[in-house]
Amino acid sequence: MKRFNIYIFSAAVMMLLTTSCNKSFLDEKPKGSLTPGNFYQTSKDLAMAEAALALQLNGAFNVVEGVHYGGDDITSKRSGNKIEFSDFDVFNANSSNARMNDWWGYFYKTIKSANSLIANYENAVSATEEERNNAGGYAYFMRAISYFYLTRTWGEVPMPVEAVPEADRPKASVQEIYDLIVADLQKAETMLPDHWTGNASQNGIDIFATRGSAKSLLANVYLTMAGWPLKQTDKYALAAAKAKEVIDGKATWGYGLLTNFADLWKISNKYNKEAVFACYYSNDVPEWNWENGNMMAPAPFAPDYEEGGWEDGFGEIAFYNRFPAGARKDATYQKDYFVKNDPNTVVDWQHTLQKHPYFLKYRDDENVDWSTHTANDWWSSATTFIIRYAEVLLIYAEAQAMSAGPDASAYAAVNEVRNRAGLADLPAGLSQTAFRDAVLEEKGWEFTAENGVRWFDLIRTETVAQANALRDPSEVPLINQPDDATHTYYWAPIPQND
Amino acid sequence: MLIFEKKPFLLFLGILITAFSYSQVRKITGKVTGPDQTPLEGVTITVKGTSIAALTINDGSFVIEVPPTAKVLVFSFTGMETQEAALSGSSPLSVQLKNKEGQLDDIVVIGYGTQKRKDLTGSIATLSSKAYKDQPVLNASSALQGRVAGVSVTNNSGAPGGEVKIRIRGANSVNASNDPLYVVDGVALSSTGLADINVNDIASMEILKDASATAVYGSRGANGVVLITTKSGATGEAKIEYNGFMSFNKPMKTYDLMDAVTYAETANLTAGADVFPNPGSYAGKTTNWQDLIFANSVTQSHQLSVNGGTENAKYYVSGFYINQEGLLANSNQKRFGVRSNIDLKLTKRLSFGINVYAARINSHNNGDIGSKGNPVTSALTWAPTEEVYDSPGEYNRFGISPIWSNPYMIIKERVGNNFSNVGIFNGKLKYNITDWLTLNINAGLDMNISKYAFLNNEWISPGNNASGQSSSESYTFQNSNILTFHKAFGNHDLTATALMESTSSNYSSFGASGSGLASLSNGYYNLGLNTAQAISSGYSNWALLSYMGRIAYNYNDKYLLTATVRRDGSSKFQGDNKWSNFPSFSAGWKLSNEQFIEELGIFSNLKLRAGWGITGNQAVGPYSTLGLLAATTYSYGTTTFSPAYTLGNPATPDVKWETSKQLNVGLDFGFLNNRLNISADYYNKNTSDLLLFTRIANYDGGGSYLKNIGKVNNRGWELMIDANPVAGKSFNWNVMASFSFNQNKVINLGEDSMLERSWIGAGLITNSIQVVKVGQPLGAFYLIPWEGVYQADKGIYKAGDAMYRDVDGNGSVGFEDRVITASATPKIQWGLNNNFTYKNFELNIFVQGSHGNKIFNATYAATAIPTSDVKFINLADAANYWTPSNTSSTWANPGSTNKSWVESTQFLQDGSYVRLKNVSLSYQISKDILKLASAKIYVSAQNIATLTRYKGFDPEATSTAANSDTDAGIDLGAYPSPKTITVGLQVRF
Repeated sequence: MKRFNIYIFSAAVMMLLTTSCNKSFLDEKPKGSLTPGNFYQTSKDLAMAEAALALQLNGAFNVVEGVHYGGDDITSKRSGNKIEFSDFDVFNANSSNARMNDWWGYFYKTIKSANSLIANYENAVSATEEERNNAGGYAYFMRAISYFYLTRTWGEVPMPVEAVPEADRPKASVQEIYDLIVADLQKAETMLPDHWTGNASQNGIDIFATRGSAKSLLANVYLTMAGWPLKQTDKYALAAAKAKEVIDGKATWGYGLLTNFADLWKISNKYNKEAVFACYYSNDVPEWNWENGNMMAPAPFAPDYEEGGWEDGFGEIAFYNRFPAGARKDATYQKDYFVKNDPNTVVDWQHTLQKHPYFLKYRDDENVDWSTHTANDWWSSATTFIIRYAEVLLIYAEAQAMSAGPDASAYAAVNEVRNRAGLADLPAGLSQTAFRDAVLEEKGWEFTAENGVRWFDLIRTETVAQANALRDPSEVPLINQPDDATHTYYWAPIPQND
Repeated sequence: MLIFEKKPFLLFLGILITAFSYSQVRKITGKVTGPDQTPLEGVTITVKGTSIAALTINDGSFVIEVPPTAKVLVFSFTGMETQEAALSGSSPLSVQLKNKEGQLDDIVVIGYGTQKRKDLTGSIATLSSKAYKDQPVLNASSALQGRVAGVSVTNNSGAPGGEVKIRIRGANSVNASNDPLYVVDGVALSSTGLADINVNDIASMEILKDASATAVYGSRGANGVVLITTKSGATGEAKIEYNGFMSFNKPMKTYDLMDAVTYAETANLTAGADVFPNPGSYAGKTTNWQDLIFANSVTQSHQLSVNGGTENAKYYVSGFYINQEGLLANSNQKRFGVRSNIDLKLTKRLSFGINVYAARINSHNNGDIGSKGNPVTSALTWAPTEEVYDSPGEYNRFGISPIWSNPYMIIKERVGNNFSNVGIFNGKLKYNITDWLTLNINAGLDMNISKYAFLNNEWISPGNNASGQSSSESYTFQNSNILTFHKAFGNHDLTATALMESTSSNYSSFGASGSGLASLSNGYYNLGLNTAQAISSGYSNWALLSYMGRIAYNYNDKYLLTATVRRDGSSKFQGDNKWSNFPSFSAGWKLSNEQFIEELGIFSNLKLRAGWGITGNQAVGPYSTLGLLAATTYSYGTTTFSPAYTLGNPATPDVKWETSKQLNVGLDFGFLNNRLNISADYYNKNTSDLLLFTRIANYDGGGSYLKNIGKVNNRGWELMIDANPVAGKSFNWNVMASFSFNQNKVINLGEDSMLERSWIGAGLITNSIQVVKVGQPLGAFYLIPWEGVYQADKGIYKAGDAMYRDVDGNGSVGFEDRVITASATPKIQWGLNNNFTYKNFELNIFVQGSHGNKIFNATYAATAIPTSDVKFINLADAANYWTPSNTSSTWANPGSTNKSWVESTQFLQDGSYVRLKNVSLSYQISKDILKLASAKIYVSAQNIATLTRYKGFDPEATSTAANSDTDAGIDLGAYPSPKTITVGLQVRF
């Protein structure tokens, strides 16, 4: 019996000792997760970080934001859940408006990831130098494009350049933000590749930004710096030069206009050569950020009156009326509307419930049954174009005209876009301002309701009030009047959350 | 008076003892019966002061040979008061045992040891299984509800096996979990939970409330500890017991919604156009979506147990089967399992026990905790003008409003099944080294191996059918080694305990899913049929190492003193922050054993208790401080997944333990020979170094980082009354009442004075509606003050627009106008349990109440205001909107062109309630009648009536996670509990 006691005792003592002597018992070993300590080492790590950047920017562009509804190209009804879109349209938005949170949130999420990659790409010692540079260049590009949208939308905003949170971060001045954007893009245009390989190249189209994308964006940045609020007119020449680099080198990057404007919006053309930079989505995979919202269509779901749908936005009537007829207009706006999906009851937009033309280019052609105009999903695989080659041409035309005058190369650039739209060349011999105004107008038609292209042109050229003065009387009346001298309502209010 | 009837009997007994102390050797016979006169089998009869013992046989009779020195026989039986009878000449003896009532001599499990209830210095409540015996209790949490002062139980979800929120003395932590620690037979549950055990196996639950009681659990004791002791075998022949019941469930209430015509008319107003060209045509065509999704369901429960044994080997074996159908159609949970508790006495000094519990839990479509598009919110907001089917067999997938799919289709067509295998195993070795030193070694394991599988058919995922499975394994190993010293010398009684304990927990998961499923014919069993496939896996582990010492000292059965210290090391913290110490002290003074109190002749028990201690909380996830990267995937626009990584939350190596300091003062009173017992406790608890996930500004990329900041105070008092007002031969009345008053307050938050919480239901709710604010309780609501409707045009506002207070005076209404308005934390909770027995009848009436909390009824708001998800309103009340001829309405005109805010006080509702939780009536049929067995039949009803001003389905149901109190009290499609009628049968062989 005594011996038995000793066994019990020794067993107990052993148990105590095994656990307490095992020094690593309380160590944390996150075997199932990556940590900052074991990431950013290989080329695969860099690829995963690049993919995350693309994913986050996708979040900013898969639904419609209200911040650019002050433009004369788009409006919204003022009822129910669309009031917050309308508030931007009638210059009544306050800091609680939720129709701007995706831009604010996702651009800054992109910036955070970009900051981290910028700080770490050089540590990926087992990747090649080229891979490291490409990753770094991509991060600089993504940070630049995010700040470019942020400062154009909100003006002075906080400007973190490291992925370390700081409470009550002060706002940077617009000049400081542009300095960072320009510096980032100058790095990006040297570090990025001309073409990506692997997953980042689909159907021969680059999913990620290339040197060509960086130069195109930089051209737009210079052009914007030449206008309000910085008004550094010396930047016109820089914009023209940068855009020219893209135009001259278009073969390098494979850029060009599609023959038919309407083809741009077909899901079958989701990868196409006109995309200098775009967000790519897929509705066949169950991950929200991968899908593109389809919220502007008069579409999706019957049986509402007419074609049902959420109609987050539709065309402003005055703008529509000015829009030159032709293939481009037909591809931009929907012409026929089926009442209650009945192909035998067809009305024009003047006879729809909202009495406004809807945007056809935002109707997912794969998900719509064109025989009845019914859609079965409001998520789609459509690509959101961020920079189209057509924009590069128009940036060049404007910048060249404003720096050197409307020379033949400026005419050639704008006419390339016009001809594709089925329009004749611009009349020769226009003055600098007349030419510039014609190009801006052209840009409005070409980029109607494309995520603020029109709106940013209006604020840059201080013509918001001027454009809104043409507003059709049948629209929801403006609650507040913008002012082109004092620039009221040019910038959106900083979201209440921050 | 009945109360004093015992006295002459005792006197008589005393005389007998004296008279027969000189008798001779003889054989004593007799019969033992229970309180209801039924013969008791297996009662142990011992001759006092000897080891001579005998058992009664099935007719209650016994024979025992006693030596000449024997004076008294002792009769003991589980659940009955041990009774002594003097040996008289007039054999046979007739003894009637009484149910245990006064619990002062009960042994109470206190954590790594036991103590007599009368010697407790901490605040520990005991809940015996008798308290809920004739009620269809399906899990341990519903047994606790309303029955223990200081313990708040809320049925967050009415889903079968749904979440239950349990708080002991309020919520301490802002971010870390506020769930108590559950310890089953010495095994602290980690991989399994309270809901996983079979409530019928529970003999008793001890609830450790104050820090002096919980400090022995150190870092895991801050939220209180529930010690669960499962049943064990009693010596004697096998006793077989069957318990079964069947419950019929139906919704407690439904929302009053618009008919189709009113809906169409209102929608036209909202749209500002004739969305419905002819609303009148919908007359008589209203679809009642609520009726479609809620089903009258049935629950059945069957329990079989057998126990018995000898002095050296005892067993308790049980099996159960529960099939619970959900209130939502096509949802259910089936549970079955077995338990085997074996206790063996190997030698005189060495005993060994093994408890094995294994169960299987199959849940079908049971995941509706509450979200904006779930069938509940969907059914309430779906247009009554819509039909269920477009054509026979073809669902009407999408309606005019809301954006969510047809709720009936979702409910009928979805397949989401969860299969859990849970097990709790422990082996215990007890070795009495000497009479005064004992070594206990416990090795425990609790585990949960589960699988989730889903199938999305054409209705759930049109054009892209999908299937998937995911499995997870969680194991927690625990080893406790306890050395207990106990010695009494003179007036001194000293117990000392030393503990060394290690716990480690492992979790791993694996999942595979896909979309583009080529054929539905294989269900979710053939994932290879998916065109796009994805796999995932995960792993985490944590460990805890602890040392504890405790000294309990009792002087002259008057003065009690307990001191403990525990040192814990946790893997979740880094470097020097891993370790912390948790001391406690408590003292008790048994005033009733003092001459001056005894002389008063009032108290049969009077004890003053006081204690102070520190406990800790490390209840954050493993690796919380490491700044792990966040995994995601990207498609490059294609249909294949590629891995991607984003930055997670920043690493925070400086984070340390959250600690709670608690002071407790309590008084226990016993009157009238303990037929009336009152316990009153006051406590004051300060939790500091709160583990808080602080929100990172969106401009820094969002997310959060873990910090130790601030302090939360909980103070309050609680009262437990246990009385036996009528104790007659045929009629007996027992009352048990519990009251808890708790005041919760955030004292400070470091640099901040207010932290906004993230919110649920994006698309419906677009900003924070809850905050943590200094000076406010947790769960404070932060809303725009709603002031009814504009009666006349004012500025941009038209008559009939919703009116809000422009708090900051900036001329427009927005989130900057939000103000603190009440909180989700209840202030008062109580329960009143009445038990009446008359002959063979027993009636139980149990009422429970909760007061002082508000609920943000987002479900209601969803039906009442147009939002980006719900285009048109549907609430019947809101149809009575303001018009120039109906100016008394406070509902905005739907045609308003100004925004109505969901995030306003308009939808904050009083969550107080008084609920008739249970009424049950049982009838006992004695063995004399049935010969083979005794039986009891009962009928009972639960949740029959609720007094509340809350406008939702159920004031207990919320959509916020049960482990949080900072995000609490939001009803967004919460799953309500049913009203049930139950019939039950209990048979004892």
